[in-house]
Amino acid sequence: MRKILKHTAITGLILFVSIAVLNGQAKGTFEVTQISNISSSSDEMAPVIMNDGILFCSNRKTNPFFTKKNLEGIRLYELYFAPFNNEGEPVSPVRFAPNLVRDANIGPASVTADGSMLWFTRNNSEGRRLGKKQPNRLGIFTARRSGSQWTDITPFEYNDPEYNFSYPFVSADGRYLFFCSDMPGGVGKYDIYMCENVDGHWTRPENLGPEVNSSSAEIHPFRHSSGRLYFASDRPGGMGGLDIWSSSLVFGSWTKPVVMDEPVNSTADDFAFYAGQGGMQGYFASNRRNFNDDIYSFASTIIRWSACDSLQKNSYCYEFIEENALKQDTLKTGFRWEWNFGDGTRATGIVAEHCFSGPGIYDISLDIVNLITGGIEKRQASYELEITDIEQPVITSPDTIAAGETLFLNAGATYLPGMKVDRYYWNFGDETVATGLEVSKVFALPGRYNIQLIVSSAPDAGGVVREVCVCKDIEVSAKVK
Amino acid sequence: MRVTRLILPLFAFVLTAAPTGLRAQEVPGPDENIPYLITFGREGGITSWGDDDFSQTFFFALPKDYKDPFYIRVYDPDIGGKTDELNNFWNTRMVYSIYGGKGCYTHLEANGIDPRGNYKSGTLMATRTFGMDNKLDERWFTFGPFNPADGEYYPKFLSNIFKIICDGVSGDDGNLYRYAISRRPDANVPVDGANAFTYEYTFRMWNNNDTSFVSHIYPYVDSGCVWVQTRNFDWDNDGDFIVVSVVRKGEVLPLSGEDVWETSRIQVYDEEIGKSLDFRFYKRKGELVKNNNVVVSVQNQFGENLPFFSAPIGGVPVYKPRIKVVPKK
Repeated sequence: MRKILKHTAITGLILFVSIAVLNGQAKGTFEVTQISNISSSSDEMAPVIMNDGILFCSNRKTNPFFTKKNLEGIRLYELYFAPFNNEGEPVSPVRFAPNLVRDANIGPASVTADGSMLWFTRNNSEGRRLGKKQPNRLGIFTARRSGSQWTDITPFEYNDPEYNFSYPFVSADGRYLFFCSDMPGGVGKYDIYMCENVDGHWTRPENLGPEVNSSSAEIHPFRHSSGRLYFASDRPGGMGGLDIWSSSLVFGSWTKPVVMDEPVNSTADDFAFYAGQGGMQGYFASNRRNFNDDIYSFASTIIRWSACDSLQKNSYCYEFIEENALKQDTLKTGFRWEWNFGDGTRATGIVAEHCFSGPGIYDISLDIVNLITGGIEKRQASYELEITDIEQPVITSPDTIAAGETLFLNAGATYLPGMKVDRYYWNFGDETVATGLEVSKVFALPGRYNIQLIVSSAPDAGGVVREVCVCKDIEVSAKVK
Repeated sequence: MRVTRLILPLFAFVLTAAPTGLRAQEVPGPDENIPYLITFGREGGITSWGDDDFSQTFFFALPKDYKDPFYIRVYDPDIGGKTDELNNFWNTRMVYSIYGGKGCYTHLEANGIDPRGNYKSGTLMATRTFGMDNKLDERWFTFGPFNPADGEYYPKFLSNIFKIICDGVSGDDGNLYRYAISRRPDANVPVDGANAFTYEYTFRMWNNNDTSFVSHIYPYVDSGCVWVQTRNFDWDNDGDFIVVSVVRKGEVLPLSGEDVWETSRIQVYDEEIGKSLDFRFYKRKGELVKNNNVVVSVQNQFGENLPFFSAPIGGVPVYKPRIKVVPKK
């Protein structure tokens, strides 16, 4: 709340971008690093990945002799672009599209997937001072790329100078626009709204409702390509100040928001979370250090193999064929083939099938009965069948479960001869992990989850650790009512 | 020439089949478990007693390196007494003729299945006619001595070939007999590496209704053989006829009824080429079929007759089951 007041009161511009890719993950599944290359003594926030760098806004001082300030003497926010260096780190930020604003704040922005259109927040009035009784509220604007320039600045059709419209985010497919506003009719303070582009026109803004919005402020909406909506809110239940929350649209309803764990969230203000395509890395803003808003990168520390073998089912079933007799299978024969499977069971026929109870060494023998004389020719052929389990980590669990129910998983049937397993690591396919021989998991949402079990050995004398991965799909159905 | 092509790969096997050949001096051989050969007198042309042509031809093959005199012996050559088959009264005469020299084997009509044309080709080495003679009942009669060099040398066979024909020239009784070749006239002393064969086998089944009495004959399957047709005559549906090989545990073929032929065709597998088949004849359980006399021959797809060796080439074929195990998904 403090953060929102600070920005609305001082700059009239709320500058939070919510990035969030993950929720429900175990603590410590991310590494968070402040991006020192673009940090300053001022504020940086609202990072957005654009082309080969990030777009963000800052109120940093750019001219030692002249600084644009608002009526309260606070420096105005401007857009900056910091290209990635060879290590993929944003460096050397420069002003971005200065023509988009004149003597006003410009802030959180969003770029369409094809990079042709920029949606951004800006004071409705620019280039002139308004009286103290005339608040210069925020509006949403678009600009089109024309070569290296951004032109054709157009206000969003639902802007209203009486209220703030800010934090635009356009979904990857360009179909949905999310933004925030304090216009009447909301749940409280700043709420998140959504419009749908139908035949080139935006539908009227629709409040996401009380499941997402609250009596507190919700800002910085970001909907990841996975479908999950991330936003920042100072609602109760967080870690303090603004925290990053997420919710998903399931069967037409938004799920109850979940707050992200440390270290993404902290007791300070954490907001403006933006994740890359895979959701395993991205950026967010936080004032956890020195009370300045700074941009942080995050990277998942979750282990997930890109190529993990599917769990193979051990089969103890075999077909036994007497090949020479099979040649004459259609002919009349004066004999009967009797199989002894070495486990106390028998079967007759030139071809027989049998399922053993488990691994072992079985002495398969074949007796042939002369149907004319009734004589039995014992052990005319034999076969030592050694059945072993497939060498793999083994996930033992139900294949299906309902959302909200506890799924128990066990790796006790792992069969990796010669490997002393030191750790069982579970990746549940929803960016959550666990370790241990036996674990449990509750999936909040229906869907198909690919669970990976990664087992690793202790380092050998040479320090080599052997790792093996196996995966299995779990179908999570809708919650049983 | 057909015979030549059929036999070509044979002789090498004959030479290497010495251990079995040692026992092959008697016809029927020990592996055949056949009590007697049989030939009926041709009077009246009665075939319903189990002889289709009243004549039986056998060939003896002696290794070319065998130079000593040898004898051909006949067990119970007479017709009458304990081991022959009486039809009203003993009136039958049998002529045993032994041939050697050029053409005794290779003549086209010498190695058929019917006594036609010049089937008595070659040089007559000895002949004798037998009627009822108590002195020879269940005793051996000896022909010879013979000089192995007087046989027809068959170079591709590396053997000297002699032929013996038993013709039922008169009467209508059945003559039960056996052969042996021997180094001695008064005992059956084997000639190393010798063997005997025929193209049509006429023999007596055991007088027993126990299925454990199994008779065998062993046709040799030459290369190029795709299928064979078996012919059996006057079996009186006495039991079961199955074919066994190294890859054939037991294919059941039909047996003939009274005084009729029964034919059936079987595919030849690659694994059977260059080996012998085992034709097994099981006696019927239950009501005994007594004094059952039968005829068997077999031809390949070219109409060439396959030889039945008293000592099976390659040994008695033993079926070898082969287990394949396939995991099921």
